[in-house]
Amino acid sequence: MYRVLRPFEFFEPTSLDEAIRLLNIYGDRAKVMAGGVDLVLKMRLRQLMPQYVVSLQKLPGLDYIDAGKGAGLRFGALVTLRSIELSPMVQKEWILLYEAIHQISSVQVKTMGTAVGNLCVATPASDIAPALLALAARVKITGADSDRVIPVEHLFVAAGKTILEPHEIITEIVVPSLPTGTGSAFMKLAKTAADIAKVNAAVTVTVADERCKEARMALGSVAPTPIRVTEAEEILQGNKLSGKTIARAAEAAAESVTPITDVRSTAIYRKEMVKVLVKDALEKAVARAKA
Amino acid sequence: MIKELANFKVNGRLYEVIIEPHMLLIDVLRDKLGLTGVKYACGTGDCGACTVLVDGKPILSCLTLAVTAKNKNILTIEGLAQGNTLHPIQQAFIDHGAVQCGFCTPGMILTAKALLDENPTPTREDVKAALDGNLCRCTGYVKIVDAVLAAAERIRKGGKG
Repeated sequence: MYRVLRPFEFFEPTSLDEAIRLLNIYGDRAKVMAGGVDLVLKMRLRQLMPQYVVSLQKLPGLDYIDAGKGAGLRFGALVTLRSIELSPMVQKEWILLYEAIHQISSVQVKTMGTAVGNLCVATPASDIAPALLALAARVKITGADSDRVIPVEHLFVAAGKTILEPHEIITEIVVPSLPTGTGSAFMKLAKTAADIAKVNAAVTVTVADERCKEARMALGSVAPTPIRVTEAEEILQGNKLSGKTIARAAEAAAESVTPITDVRSTAIYRKEMVKVLVKDALEKAVARAKA
Repeated sequence: MIKELANFKVNGRLYEVIIEPHMLLIDVLRDKLGLTGVKYACGTGDCGACTVLVDGKPILSCLTLAVTAKNKNILTIEGLAQGNTLHPIQQAFIDHGAVQCGFCTPGMILTAKALLDENPTPTREDVKAALDGNLCRCTGYVKIVDAVLAAAERIRKGGKG
């Protein structure tokens, strides 16, 4: 840990075009900064030593949350985690996202950090990414040549790596509205409440006539990137949501993960805990769907 | 790297400071302005000792580039008392024995202020959640939470918040 950052050249573009132009010129010698929590920390740790830092903080029109019942949720690249957490619409309609953010420590980090920044950091332990995966969220990417919209699950390539080109910026996250009869839940296991996850799980389940119409499940900290567990989803699809089916889905989820052993947990424990978290999260989501 | 003469509004006063882009807000506040109530501890965003309020919101000054705080309203612990009258949160910390070594105290009090400005009637759980990014290694948290709840009540009864 170093007290002082290495010098860099700093840009505060006031238009998206200007930001993209700068990133196009400087390529991977530049780093994009939204809230700066991760970037400044990594610069202190000398894990990153960019020659150029391009701040998005002065870009107009990226600090909005648009949400409506049935109309989906959209928010811009500069929206902080704290703003999303405090949004009454998110608390009511996208409880999974609210839960994932609410349990994050601390208020200060959430006041500074953005959801888009969290995705771009691409940590396997993200709490936000599994929630957005389970919610079938998409990201809007703006680049030098063209814009594109991709599902969040296509964003991550490896630990700390996304498909973003150096000249591209995520400008918006789009979260669809959940169909009627959908319940969701987020669960996390960590050393302490303030630590990052040993394992986390996010699920959404749509229930119709006692059967699972659709399910989406995502996990964090059990693979090089946050992952969707489609094998487990398929077990639920079209079936009655009995204890037995849920247990089979939880087993399938545990089978599909490839966790590592590190300072926070062991691979074998993580795998076992996937079963527990998926089961608990599914039961909670199903109960919410029926409520 | 480009130096600039930047304006900082700290505790209601305007300061001009020569800064470079890689300077951190904590260093401007402590080393350029002498506001040593801002504490440096973990440097990684875990402990909350360096918390200051920027436009009323609690942020970590050790992970903030000074250049991004230009022209914003910054409040440090030095700006909280009105003359010789302590802010109700400060007074409550004394009354409840919520200060031991005092190192975490400025961050605790400023984070508590942001909470009470946002939610004047917090529950005990609300206070604990609001302060979960501020670590104290001396007293434990019971007296700190007691103090914040007492301050909330004092402010509701007309004590100046």
